[in-house]
Amino acid sequence: MNPISQVRSDSRSQQIDNGTGNGIGLSRGLGLLGVGLGVTELAFPRALAGVVGVDARGPASSTIVRAMGVREIASGVALLAAPAHPAPLWTRVVGDAIDLGLLGLALTTRGSNRRRLAIALGAIAGIAAIDIFASRRRALASRRASVIAAVTINKPPLEVYEFFRKLEHLPQFMDYLASVEVLGPRRSRWTAVLPVGGTASWEAEILEDRPGSALSWCSVEGSPIQTRGRVTFTRTPGRNMTEIRVELQLAVLGGGPSTTLARLFARPQIKADLRRLKQVLETGEVLYSDASQHQLPHPAQPSLPGRRDAAPRTFIENPPTARKGGTP
Amino acid sequence: MRATCWMGKQNVSVERVPDPQILNARDAIVKVTATTICGSDLHLYNGFMPGMQKGDILGHEFMGEVVDVGKGVKNLKAGDRVVVPFAIACGNCESCQLGNFSCCENANPNGWVTEKLMGHATCGAFGYSHLTGGFAGGQAEYVRVPYADFGPLKVPSTLRDEQVLFLSDIFPTGYMGAEQCEITPRKVIAVWGAGPVGQLAIASARMLGAEKVIVIDRFPYRLDLAVKKAGATDVINYAETDRVHEALLDLTAGRGPDACIDCVGLEAHGYGVEYTYDKVKQTLKLQLDRPIAVRDAIMACRNAGIVSILGVYAGLVDKFPLGALMNRGLTIKTGQCHVHRYMKPLLERIERGEIDPSFVVTHRIPLSDAPRGYAMFREKQDGCIKVVLDPAA
Ligand SMILES: NC(=O)c1ccc[n+]([C@@H]2O[C@H](COP(=O)([O-])OP(=O)(O)OC[C@H]3O[C@@H](n4cnc5c(N)ncnc54)[C@H](O)[C@@H]3O)[C@@H](O)[C@H]2O)c1
Ligand SMILES: [Zn+2]
Ligand SMILES: [Zn+2]
Repeated sequence: MNPISQVRSDSRSQQIDNGTGNGIGLSRGLGLLGVGLGVTELAFPRALAGVVGVDARGPASSTIVRAMGVREIASGVALLAAPAHPAPLWTRVVGDAIDLGLLGLALTTRGSNRRRLAIALGAIAGIAAIDIFASRRRALASRRASVIAAVTINKPPLEVYEFFRKLEHLPQFMDYLASVEVLGPRRSRWTAVLPVGGTASWEAEILEDRPGSALSWCSVEGSPIQTRGRVTFTRTPGRNMTEIRVELQLAVLGGGPSTTLARLFARPQIKADLRRLKQVLETGEVLYSDASQHQLPHPAQPSLPGRRDAAPRTFIENPPTARKGGTP
Repeated sequence: MRATCWMGKQNVSVERVPDPQILNARDAIVKVTATTICGSDLHLYNGFMPGMQKGDILGHEFMGEVVDVGKGVKNLKAGDRVVVPFAIACGNCESCQLGNFSCCENANPNGWVTEKLMGHATCGAFGYSHLTGGFAGGQAEYVRVPYADFGPLKVPSTLRDEQVLFLSDIFPTGYMGAEQCEITPRKVIAVWGAGPVGQLAIASARMLGAEKVIVIDRFPYRLDLAVKKAGATDVINYAETDRVHEALLDLTAGRGPDACIDCVGLEAHGYGVEYTYDKVKQTLKLQLDRPIAVRDAIMACRNAGIVSILGVYAGLVDKFPLGALMNRGLTIKTGQCHVHRYMKPLLERIERGEIDPSFVVTHRIPLSDAPRGYAMFREKQDGCIKVVLDPAA
């Protein structure tokens, strides 16, 4: 099965995934449930212990219930803060397992109410099932989702399109690309430098080519890396600049996502690419600072060894067009 | 070369570092002939601005002589004497075309970090943390200047360094602060802070025709200069009165100043509980800023007046009088200075003799003495207002 779902054919509609279809609503609900339960555990440890059938007379069990409360609140807050992310959901699953373990332990303790404990165990097992379901669904959704990013470029759409359409220009601003070789009117070979070292190469085919408005491509059948991308070029309201929007999907044949490559296509990477594209088209080149020319953190001071990057530095003569102040 | 490096909180030292190289076609390398310590550098020195790294070269107000240019720079050549604007701007993006140079969309390679903190990216700047791009600063023997075909201003040899040096930062800044007040002769202007920026805001307000300019600070020597050289007409020393607000109302017969300029920034000082409150929050890193002067300015400003903020702020503040701002119809105008907008017209004013901004200079010391300069400027010792560093000495 092709893990890539269809790229939306009209990204002008600008419908951003609001998430309800992908279980974000469920994640938020679980987050709220966690915070609510946690606060109850913190505030009324004894009463709650009684309800679930644990003997709450000892100070130790109150402390345990409170600790469980803190954990519930923490994972609940994490979930509310990033409901689209699978990680906080998995922390809930781990928490469920701990809760089940503690209740199981209580079953063997004298003074516990076994009937109530059994009900509580059942309830937590049920919640755990929902947590597992939700996290798997989120993990799947985030793997399939395409990344969308946009930037405004101070050049007319046709000019931006024409630059982009010469695919061999891409490495100038997509800094992980070593090269894009044009093989035919629609075919090209892309070579990426992997962050872990080495390169990966694949062929792509242009699917849609509308000068000045849209361009889309897809890796060819049987490529080790499957990507699909679509770029639209729209005139800004009232001005002749370009709103460029990129939508990208990536997967590796045979199922699981390739993590290093997936990172390249993550949203920050694409946003950075677009920012560099803007620099190239507006100012003629990608701007480096003493610090930014290094991949790792570097103080803002000159350094002898220059920058190591895939693409050669190019400069397209592009003198400033702005006017500085005249006489006030 | 030698350069002033930030080594940690209240710790700068002059270090040997590699000479700058041309990194981009539109770069120039400038041999620095004069550079300064700015009030903004104190925010870095005191550790209040996020995004600094040990070893960062400081300094953003400087001038010098071009020694090398990249292949994209046609309007400069080796030997040209230039003043360099502290803001780095490309001259091609829409913000630059609109004249909002300190909001340049291309000049900050770390724009994405700033975007996270502030919603959108700002321009690049020399020696001003990695939030403005991680560019080496100008408190050095040499400096690399990006977009050199756009930023630097050639200056005539008839003017001394000190007369034109401040075109790099504080003169355009002070001028912009005054310009934002939409000055007419009948408008009363109040200026918080009599540091170098405040002095030049006062002088600019007078130059633009304000008849009455009130200055507020606590250092008598600074207030003196404001009256004698910058042209302030009235003085409030807030160390001597806890009734600044009332004093301003007295001086304006109850109206309040028509426009207020904040030339203090995030390290504002004070005597009340409010100061202690902000200082505690700032120390605990719960808040980056102490917005005391701007609060006072808002409360004092006349109904429907203008509050012009030049002092630098970094983050979120609380106890901000939003209600007063809204209900009394005030306008806030602010920004890192759009230096490129003002350099040439202000140079012309200097040439015509309308103003000589060098009156703020109190100390000329060798670059190697930068650590002493920072400490002295921070403590406002020895009558210190503006320190000029000489890399050749
Ligand atoms: N917007 C810009 O582009 C720009 C450019 C340059 C400097 N700045 C900022 O301007 C500010 C001033 O710079 P400077 O070089 O004059 O620094 P400075 O430290 O010499 O001046 C600050 C002055 O404010 C006074 N002050 C402190 N608390 C006060 C209060 N509550 N009320 C009245 N006065 C008070 C101090 O006594 C001092 O004299 C700084 O925040 C600096 O970062 C902004
Ligand atoms: Zn400054
Ligand atoms: Zn720009």
